[in-house]
Amino acid sequence: MPRLGNLDDLAALCDALGSKREQSTRTVTMCAGTACRACGCLPVAEAVEAEIEKQGLCGEVLFRTTGCHGFCEQGPLAIIEPGNIFYAKLKVDDVEELVSQTLKENQVVERLLYTDPVSGEKVRTEDAIPFYASQTRVLLGDNTKLSPENIDEYLSLGGYTALAKTLTSTSPGDVVSTVQASGLRGRGGGGYSTGRKWEQCRQAPGEEHYVICNADEGDPGAYMDRCLLEGNPHAVIEGMAIGAYAIGARQGFVYVRKEYPLAVRHVEGAIEQAHEYGLLGDNILGTDFSFDVKVVHGGGAFVCGESTALMASLEGKVGEPRAKDVHTVEHGYLNQPTCLNNVETWANVPKIITNGAEWFAQKGTQNSKGTKIFALTGQVKNTGLVEVEMGASLREVIFDIGGGPQNGRAIKAVQTGGPSGGCLPESEFDLAVDFDELYEAGSMMGSGGMVVMDDSACMVDVAKYFLTFLQDESCGKCLTCRIGISRMLDIVTDVCEGCGTPEQLDLLEDLAWTVSVGSLCALGKTAANPVLSTLKYFREEYEAHIEQESCPAGVCPALIHYTIDEDTCNNCGLCAQNCPYEAISGDKESGYRINGEICTRCGICVESCNKKAIVKS
Amino acid sequence: MPEMVTLAIDEQEVEVEEGTNVLAAALGAGICIPNLCYLPGLKPTGACRVCIVEVEKNGRTKMTASCTLEAKDGMVIHAHSENVLRARRNIVELLVAEAPESEVLQVLAERIEVEDVRYPERDNDCILCGRCVTACAEIAATGAKGSIGRGMNRHIGLPFYNEEYCQKCYECRERCPMEIAPQSRRDPCGVCGSELSKNEDLIPEMCGDCELD
Ligand SMILES: Cc1cc2nc3c(=O)[nH]c(=O)nc-3n(C[C@H](O)[C@H](O)[C@H](O)COP(=O)(O)O)c2cc1C
Ligand code: SF4
Ligand code: FES
Repeated sequence: MPRLGNLDDLAALCDALGSKREQSTRTVTMCAGTACRACGCLPVAEAVEAEIEKQGLCGEVLFRTTGCHGFCEQGPLAIIEPGNIFYAKLKVDDVEELVSQTLKENQVVERLLYTDPVSGEKVRTEDAIPFYASQTRVLLGDNTKLSPENIDEYLSLGGYTALAKTLTSTSPGDVVSTVQASGLRGRGGGGYSTGRKWEQCRQAPGEEHYVICNADEGDPGAYMDRCLLEGNPHAVIEGMAIGAYAIGARQGFVYVRKEYPLAVRHVEGAIEQAHEYGLLGDNILGTDFSFDVKVVHGGGAFVCGESTALMASLEGKVGEPRAKDVHTVEHGYLNQPTCLNNVETWANVPKIITNGAEWFAQKGTQNSKGTKIFALTGQVKNTGLVEVEMGASLREVIFDIGGGPQNGRAIKAVQTGGPSGGCLPESEFDLAVDFDELYEAGSMMGSGGMVVMDDSACMVDVAKYFLTFLQDESCGKCLTCRIGISRMLDIVTDVCEGCGTPEQLDLLEDLAWTVSVGSLCALGKTAANPVLSTLKYFREEYEAHIEQESCPAGVCPALIHYTIDEDTCNNCGLCAQNCPYEAISGDKESGYRINGEICTRCGICVESCNKKAIVKS
Repeated sequence: MPEMVTLAIDEQEVEVEEGTNVLAAALGAGICIPNLCYLPGLKPTGACRVCIVEVEKNGRTKMTASCTLEAKDGMVIHAHSENVLRARRNIVELLVAEAPESEVLQVLAERIEVEDVRYPERDNDCILCGRCVTACAEIAATGAKGSIGRGMNRHIGLPFYNEEYCQKCYECRERCPMEIAPQSRRDPCGVCGSELSKNEDLIPEMCGDCELD
């Protein structure tokens, strides 16, 4: 690769690559993100490539594999242009037809199209799929357009021109002003103004300044950052380079958990390729600006995503938070001014520079601008990564994009913000996706986890789940977090087991307050949110466990019982055969009984009974 | 001459050298903020949370440990506000429930009027205040002791649990507030003396000799 000596070299290369891109009459794009790989997309992709060659279409058809498109549950998936035809759940056996019919003959293969679970109808194009139609895919859209393993693809879409523009015609102060004017707020959880952070860091005296990308992403169920880094690593690197120029840094780090091997590989490959073009390294594009990025692998501790713990870990120390009364923008990595931003925050930066602060600030609400990516999971029809404009209501995300409840059940709550966030009831679904609105309602935007729960979920059990997670992930340094969480968990466990008392609920609230005001870092400070929000909105569920010793959703094992309804039972004995714990005794003559002492409430007998004679109470 | 900063702690003006932490500033001015993991003169860790205070800024308050908080000019600190007393009592209550046998914790609880302990007792010798780790790192300059594990698994140990890393100076034992180390001084707070200790009925025995008012 030739080193790009100046702005013109880059512009010429981008143009050349861009027009080459436009020339290809036909493209097949397949997602090869982690989730699609797990669905077996690689053999399908290989087969498509081979089939294109076999049918003699090599010159006409451009084939590319990309990062995650978001609709993971439909993988392996392919988009064929022109026509925007969307094929879902592809198998190797489908490939011959895909190539001969669609690529050669321009015929749509009906059976490969996606069926919308809400309307039951086949959908022909990607754009028409309700899951995508209500999204605003500013960042994720690029994931579908480029191969993350080839820098030319990023350049063909005008990649690195934002950096070039910045280096050649903007002063660092103006870059900060632009970011500040855009209203961008950190996507890693806290929602701190990115422009203000940059300004503070830029102003802080130090021998060196550093920029860091936080790709530690440890919330259960969240994978937004992984998909951005996997699917479009150059956007993150370009964003970091712009930030580095703005605050005066020469070195950057991507702190990525090692459980994300594909993201690690793609970002490392991207750095190498950017080097070859001279887009990283010394005198970038012939300017005085030099900047390099190093990838550092995190061990996967949730707490290492916290800024001070992350920097300690980067320094080779134990990944443990320190008191943050002194900010990392002044004293961060190696005690120098350090600017840490989340993957999604960095990825937004080139967009802002290219399109201008006003363009970004137009999207969203008064105080939350732009778009936000969520990992939509749980009991909705469509799950996956979704990107919506700030200000969209939770209802739109859950019902329009998510398609509403599964199996005709009723949706009861949504959990946003991961372990630091909270559970909001259906009555709050008109709340907007907005940092401040969610916070005031007792939850959080967080980094973008969104778990939808229907009436089969027990909210006390949900609180218990998050407390268990936090108890394990607390670093254990400070008392309120280490002991406070375990005491909260003990109380919630008592409630789940039917031995809670009304006084314990008061104690739980008092304790939750203590943990939130007393803890050293944000892990502890927010650890009570799952408890406080469920107590606020679903107190009656706690009370039912305590006063009636019943779990309304029928989830908590200690409070549910299975019995065999003698009138319905035909004594077939299937339940007894299937019970893995041998808790069902009896014979065909005298009938069967479940021994409550041995029964673990796994529910396998219920599934096995053809007569539906086993009742849960 | 080092720069001086002036802050207000419980409405009392206190002048200290720049870089002093708020806990040290308060103790130096005769205002007792109960504390446990802090070792005067050494790097504070903020582990026990007993020294919690409220910082007032632009009309809003935030609670934080005072040992890890650097005193700044114009800072306004409340060390005995209603919130602080409530949080501190709850924190010490949690501590006592972890190690009900500990004399030091009982004294601390008595001093700040923890009335009852609402949690089932656990039976721990060590409450992970981390004083031994600080002593090993800073006084002995050995840096052998450290914390191992996360969350409830966290414990103090030597690298690879290998005794050879220990220089046997026992600076750590000297500073352990718990009963694990028989020769420890078992002082709950380095220097003590309390606003609360002005209440004759509440002064625990060991507060009697305190140099602070
Ligand atoms: C326990 C804990 C875990 C965190 N994990 C992450 C993470 O995985 N990724 C992330 O970007 N921020 C995480 N954060 C937030 C970071 O501390 C920090 O605020 C963020 O990376 C700043 O970037 P932003 O301003 O772009 O959001 C975590 C915070 C805490 C307290
Ligand atoms: S709040 Fe929790 S995670 Fe944070 S320092 Fe304290 S123990 Fe560690
Ligand atoms: S946290 Fe300050 S003395 Fe322990």
